[in-house]
Amino acid sequence: MGNDAIECHGLSRQFGARMAVSDLEFSVPSGIVFGFLGPNGAGKTTTVRLMVGMLQPSSGSLRVLGHDPVAEGEWVRTRCGVMLDGVGLYDRLSARRNLEFAARIARLNKSEGRQRVDASLQRVGLWDRREDRVSGFSKGMRQKLGLARALIADPEMLILDEPTAGLDPANIVMVRELLLSLAEDAGRSVFLCTHLLAEAQRICDQVAIIRGGRLLAMGEPNKLGEAQLPSVRLTLSGYDGDSSTALNLPQGAQMARLSAQEWRATLGDPQDIEALVAALVAGGVGVRAVIPEQVSLEEEYMRLVGGNADE
Amino acid sequence: MSDLTAMLWKEAVELIGHRRVAIIFAIVVVIMGIFPALIMYHRQTIQAANSLIFFGLIYVLLGIVVVVGQTASDLVLHERVGHTLDYLLTTRLSAPAIFAAKILLSAAIGYLAALLVLLVQLAAVGLIGGMRFHWLFLGLGAGQVAAFGVTAALSLYVSVVGTFVALRVGEQRSAYLLSVVAVGLLLVPFILGWLHMSLTLGWISKAALVLGVIALALAAIGMRVFRRHMLVLYLQD
Repeated sequence: MGNDAIECHGLSRQFGARMAVSDLEFSVPSGIVFGFLGPNGAGKTTTVRLMVGMLQPSSGSLRVLGHDPVAEGEWVRTRCGVMLDGVGLYDRLSARRNLEFAARIARLNKSEGRQRVDASLQRVGLWDRREDRVSGFSKGMRQKLGLARALIADPEMLILDEPTAGLDPANIVMVRELLLSLAEDAGRSVFLCTHLLAEAQRICDQVAIIRGGRLLAMGEPNKLGEAQLPSVRLTLSGYDGDSSTALNLPQGAQMARLSAQEWRATLGDPQDIEALVAALVAGGVGVRAVIPEQVSLEEEYMRLVGGNADE
Repeated sequence: MSDLTAMLWKEAVELIGHRRVAIIFAIVVVIMGIFPALIMYHRQTIQAANSLIFFGLIYVLLGIVVVVGQTASDLVLHERVGHTLDYLLTTRLSAPAIFAAKILLSAAIGYLAALLVLLVQLAAVGLIGGMRFHWLFLGLGAGQVAAFGVTAALSLYVSVVGTFVALRVGEQRSAYLLSVVAVGLLLVPFILGWLHMSLTLGWISKAALVLGVIALALAAIGMRVFRRHMLVLYLQD
């Protein structure tokens, strides 16, 4: 248990006959930005609701910061800043009043509360609109105010459901940098549900991909594709593919033609690249270029989730 | 206590900016305050003391039902529509604090409306009714108990019922109508008693006490059975 911010063991949640989350098994180390990726209806929001004790698991166990969010809900919620999909701001109140309410809930004293409210409004760039009613805010402004509200109590952990939805590119960069600084400077754990794979690749130390309530993959975003067989892109001359059998290629290596001189070699082991090149050269094949291929998070996501944007 | 204070602060600040509730409140106070005086003017008489209690007070009680019924359902349902109840569920706020703040505030609004209706009635009888100042039923001990006791008990009762109903019904108009029906059913024995018994101080006091006890008992049961997930309909599936 120790340093894990979140621990899930066989976590399931059923709504009637539908399994929203099924047998989730993962842990999130403290102090990292963890991306939770998946199409709409994959079970991300249900997982978030389980994490803050809004829902009870049908089976399995879940611990957030080492505590049970159902049995010790108040303890967990006191230490987690949460921003749900939909944000949930009070439209009839001003931006400042919304944050003041959050400060009161967090039991901050008056001067500290005022200080935090002012600092948060400045941090997310809403200082000039602080006295305006939230009903007149754009979606992007709401997202930023929701983020400021989640941060008001200086929580140990942030749980954010689509925090960059509706933001323009400049604000996405602002939120990204804010999240990174929160995780790096303060050692705060961030659990981030997002659709933006490029953002996840930049922000997250680890990601998990979920679909149909099931965990499909988990790991560092740049290494997630490594579970697939390693491959290299080759530019060859004097090779037509028919001579493969005559060459002493490493065991498990398979060649696939991409164009006249372009080939992709799939290897059984990443260490086999040198052996492959040596075998080609020994067989009289001209090797002009060897480029190891890396699967991007987006490619891996699309491979796992498929073309379906929604469940 | 600070949870309750935080919730009460939020509800009050939010309600101040709520135009529809403010308009309904003002209309109720004016109409329920002036209407008895208009009838008196038409009849050109101040009726017997017992009849006055029924006559003026019934408008006060009606005003409470309208104002509290609206406010109680609005306090729950507008949060549901705006997904702010979801937010409350993610905070450290306790369930009783959320529930109690909504009940207390709508009951207080109802009580305030009742007192204002009484004031308007007193002023209107003199001004519109064309008569000299008259204390109406407030001149009697039974009337005072009714004005300050029955109204407080009824405000609390309607508030508890309205909040409960709104937690279970997802639509404002349905919640409001259901609350009014529920309140009306409970009031039948009181109205019958009212019509068939002389309105003595003892009877009115007992009525206020019984209504108050029922309201408090309902509120206590509500606190016991209320669970955080009831705030959000989709979590009740």
